Amino acid sequence: MAKGVLVDIPKCIGCESCSVACKLWNELEWDEQEKNKTAIDRAKEPNNGLWPEEWTSINRYDLEKDSESVARYVKTQCMHCEDPACVSSCFSKAFQKLPEGPVIYDQSLCVGCRYCMMACPFDVLRYEWKKAIPGVRKCQMCATRVANNQETACTSVCPTGAIIFGDREELLAEAKKRIKENGYVDRVFGEKEAGGTSWLYISDTPFEQMRFRTDITSKPLPSYTEGYMKATPFVGVGWAAILAGLYVYNNKGKEPLD
Amino acid sequence: MASKVGRVKSLSRRSFLKFVGGASLVGVTLNLTGCGKPITPDKAIGGNGWMPTQYNAPGNWPTSVRGRVPIDPENPAIVRDDQKCILCGQCIEVCEKIQSVFGNYELPIKKEFVCVNCGQCIQWCPSGAISERDDVNRVFKALADPNVTVVVQTAPATRIGLGEEFGMPVGTNVQGKQVAALRKLGFDVVFDTNFTADLTIMEEGTELVKRVTGELHHPIPQMTSCCPGWVKFVEYFYPELIPNLSSAKSPQQMEGALIKTYFAEKKEVDPKKIFSVAIMPCTAKKFECQRPEMNSASKELNDSNVSPDVDVVLTTRELARMIKRSGIDFASLPEEEYDKLMGTGTGAGVIFGTTGGVMEAAVRSAYYLITGQQPPAALWNLTPVRGMQGVKEAAVNIPGVGDVKVAVISGLANARKVMDQMKAGHAPWAFMEIMACPGGCEYGGGQPRASSPPSDEDRNRRAASLYNIDAKAKLRNSHDNPEIKQIYADFLTAPMSEKAEELLHTHYVSRADDFIPKKSEENKLY
Repeated sequence: MAKGVLVDIPKCIGCESCSVACKLWNELEWDEQEKNKTAIDRAKEPNNGLWPEEWTSINRYDLEKDSESVARYVKTQCMHCEDPACVSSCFSKAFQKLPEGPVIYDQSLCVGCRYCMMACPFDVLRYEWKKAIPGVRKCQMCATRVANNQETACTSVCPTGAIIFGDREELLAEAKKRIKENGYVDRVFGEKEAGGTSWLYISDTPFEQMRFRTDITSKPLPSYTEGYMKATPFVGVGWAAILAGLYVYNNKGKEPLD
Repeated sequence: MASKVGRVKSLSRRSFLKFVGGASLVGVTLNLTGCGKPITPDKAIGGNGWMPTQYNAPGNWPTSVRGRVPIDPENPAIVRDDQKCILCGQCIEVCEKIQSVFGNYELPIKKEFVCVNCGQCIQWCPSGAISERDDVNRVFKALADPNVTVVVQTAPATRIGLGEEFGMPVGTNVQGKQVAALRKLGFDVVFDTNFTADLTIMEEGTELVKRVTGELHHPIPQMTSCCPGWVKFVEYFYPELIPNLSSAKSPQQMEGALIKTYFAEKKEVDPKKIFSVAIMPCTAKKFECQRPEMNSASKELNDSNVSPDVDVVLTTRELARMIKRSGIDFASLPEEEYDKLMGTGTGAGVIFGTTGGVMEAAVRSAYYLITGQQPPAALWNLTPVRGMQGVKEAAVNIPGVGDVKVAVISGLANARKVMDQMKAGHAPWAFMEIMACPGGCEYGGGQPRASSPPSDEDRNRRAASLYNIDAKAKLRNSHDNPEIKQIYADFLTAPMSEKAEELLHTHYVSRADDFIPKKSEENKLY
């Protein structure tokens, strides 16, 4: 059964255990500059605090709610689309979606074209520009942990239950229950966005104010091109056959040089 | 160009090899690009690291502790180095179970991270990720400025902690060496907070007597206010009990206010050019000195250019760092004396550094304030309020008043239990001493980290050292301190006089609006 994670934004207290767990489990390097940034700093940056060595980050937004000023913490990472655009755009199959949910990346297959980065609707992919043999980096949803029936590193350390791991269908039901009980915004971000994602967000403050891409399509992104891209092999082989035929036709009856 | 059609008529060996070679290349390329490879999770990048065992259980099993406490980047007292954090969860353990702060609010949080700045998380952090906000450089800068008079005060408990940073046994009394080290570092004047501890007893004791006699319309029991962590705790969780808090400032803030007024006047120093430093066993003191109310000198002198009463608070650990950085051989330093004027403390002042000490000191002087006679020797060894028990009670017989019931509490979870009782109407005490840290200041968030995790064994050794100083002291009652008599005669006139109120007393603010209080016991954070 496909797994997922539910992020209950109002339950986050901003302790950033999750991003430290990500660093520990994935052995990501610490960058002095990134380390000294606060959640407020990251919320002002265009890339949501995601870097090649920062696969997840906490962004703090100071908002108005019921004419009271409140702070909300939003965890950012790969959304793990149900039908990922990065996977469909990758011609070398370096990106793959596992049946358990994680969208994983195998660097040994990557040719470095960065089509995936262009394709991603949530802008979570980062390229290792500073490396001699660069790759693309993003959250892997702890694929090996999930395969071993363990929860992801970040959810395992969350002290408040703001991020919980489970079966996506169950989490979706839980999300809808919480929306009703707590008077949240009536939207599970990730239920339909980009055709649905493994990560689901619920919030009591508008998603637009926390830099969520709320204008995104609910159709899976690969479905826009699937119709005609499916014909690619036939067009290729067919076009080659036509050209070969024309060649033979044009040279019919001509004598070879020698 | 001529056509090549018909050129190859038969299959030569060369063309065969060409064909096989080409096919192999295509095959290798296809293979390399992953065509036909099964999808396996172990191909993913990352995932080879380490996490504490509690997080590696299959499924979503509950664990005893998860994650860590949130720390505001703007926290004036406490900082954390994420790179050193191993998510062991000890900070949450102490914050929630021992101090009852974390988890005692509803989610969502409003804006502020509820934190009383006590710093116990520092003492419990096994990897040293959490530490005090380092203000050492600000002090070095002031010391280097020849136009500034740098005045320093040292808390009762630093003298029995500092030695541990230099390899001495737990609880070693290094009072004289500490003074010598401070002079060597370049501090112009070295005062003892024990002096204002005695002054606190005079002010707080007078206030207590006034409350009991009904002269002051404030509720009983009176609660101590020397612990900034405890004060903030009341402001957060029990704002309705703020009137029970003594209006007397903490010894640190009294000393700070007097340094920029009394000392400046006596020694004819420009208060604007005084830089006031406090060496404390405490991180919450860093918060306290930044409170907007702690600006009495500026108000008293009517000069907005006078900086806050205490400019910088350094923890015991930071002082040790300064001494080490300056290359001072601490062990070989001579024993030196504090400067006069505000450098004399009594045995009653020094035991402020441990749980029960304020109470014992207060009882000695309350006896004197009520009866006009010296307290009996039994009050110099008030055993029921000594020791590491979280909640201690005693009844003291004072002639003319009868049995006065008192309570001594250390550790905020213990305080919470008693406060809940008080709210329910059970408060048979006249006076209560409450310290945020278990054991009191001697094991405060700013004290040296012991070689072992926080334990009552170490707390008892440090406390024993303080009681030993008291036992050997020539003067053991706050009201006998000659400098206290002098300051009342020369400057303050009397306890709770108008001037004393202005400089030595303060008010508190409710912080109940900063968060949503917990609705019920079941509503735990997790």
